[in-house]
Amino acid sequence: MDSIYAQRCAACHGFSGRGDGALAASLPVPVPDFRTTVEQNSTAQIRRIISKGKGLMPAFEPALRPSEITDMVQMVRFLSREGREIRWWERFDTLVVAHCSVPWELVLGYDEPADGGK
Amino acid sequence: MKSARLWLSFGAAILCAVWLKPAVWGHDPEAVKTAPRFERREIELPIRDFTLTDQNGRRLSFNRLSGRVVVLGFGYTSCPDVCPLLTATMLSVQRRVPENQRGSVYFLTITTDPEIDTPAILETYARRYGADLSNWAFLTGPPEALEKVWENFRLRPTKKARGLVDHTPLILLIDRQGIARFAYIGVSPQAQILLQDLTGLLKRSS
Repeated sequence: MDSIYAQRCAACHGFSGRGDGALAASLPVPVPDFRTTVEQNSTAQIRRIISKGKGLMPAFEPALRPSEITDMVQMVRFLSREGREIRWWERFDTLVVAHCSVPWELVLGYDEPADGGK
Repeated sequence: MKSARLWLSFGAAILCAVWLKPAVWGHDPEAVKTAPRFERREIELPIRDFTLTDQNGRRLSFNRLSGRVVVLGFGYTSCPDVCPLLTATMLSVQRRVPENQRGSVYFLTITTDPEIDTPAILETYARRYGADLSNWAFLTGPPEALEKVWENFRLRPTKKARGLVDHTPLILLIDRQGIARFAYIGVSPQAQILLQDLTGLLKRSS
């Protein structure tokens, strides 16, 4: 999933999700910093933005499969919480793939915020 | 006379080969740092007629736009980086064309990813950007029809993954006679420069 983030998000959002991607300076609008914006949104809202697009950001549905969009939502949350670069996650890629059936929240000890069914 | 024609043909062939030397955008965030920001080239490339399908599912032939100056861009709706900038630039130009000249200008966006970009998806994309669809069409079609169009513009889109296609970040200005006069290549096109060239073309051929 990190390669999906690297290919489709990093140019604008940056490898650490701070809105400092190489293309960010060319955009007519500032790119949000995940550390301050992601926690204000529910998982469903983040999913909707990734799927349907927002502003200049493209809609990744139907180009990405639902499971890939789920991975993207998780990656955005990881980056916003950990403040770590995507490259840090690459070290755990094999482990992640090996344990892909285990919910991320269990692996990392996170609880998803309540969406209220949104 | 014959020799002059020969030299002219030779010159035209060289020009066509050079004007769009590979500058394919590879969706590599690291490559952004070295990618051309914006390059404007004067060209002379006759456009062969083509017929594609617009965002409403209607057929649109390029020849039908004869007599108008055409701003033509390539891109696809799930493009994560450069295409949104190209569309935003075209949108900025569309909004700045003086009211009395709007009927003389037409905007075309041709997809480089027909697998994903159906008319319905293009329609949603166009609406999300707020494009005025009275003089802007977003075109798609069968891959074999699109390949002929891409070939005319020396474009060779390469699929990297589902919904991820490498292609040259390209906008063209085409005069009223259907000859492309300017090519803008790069990840950060300048609307003001496009608008100046567009105004020049409108004056030149009015």
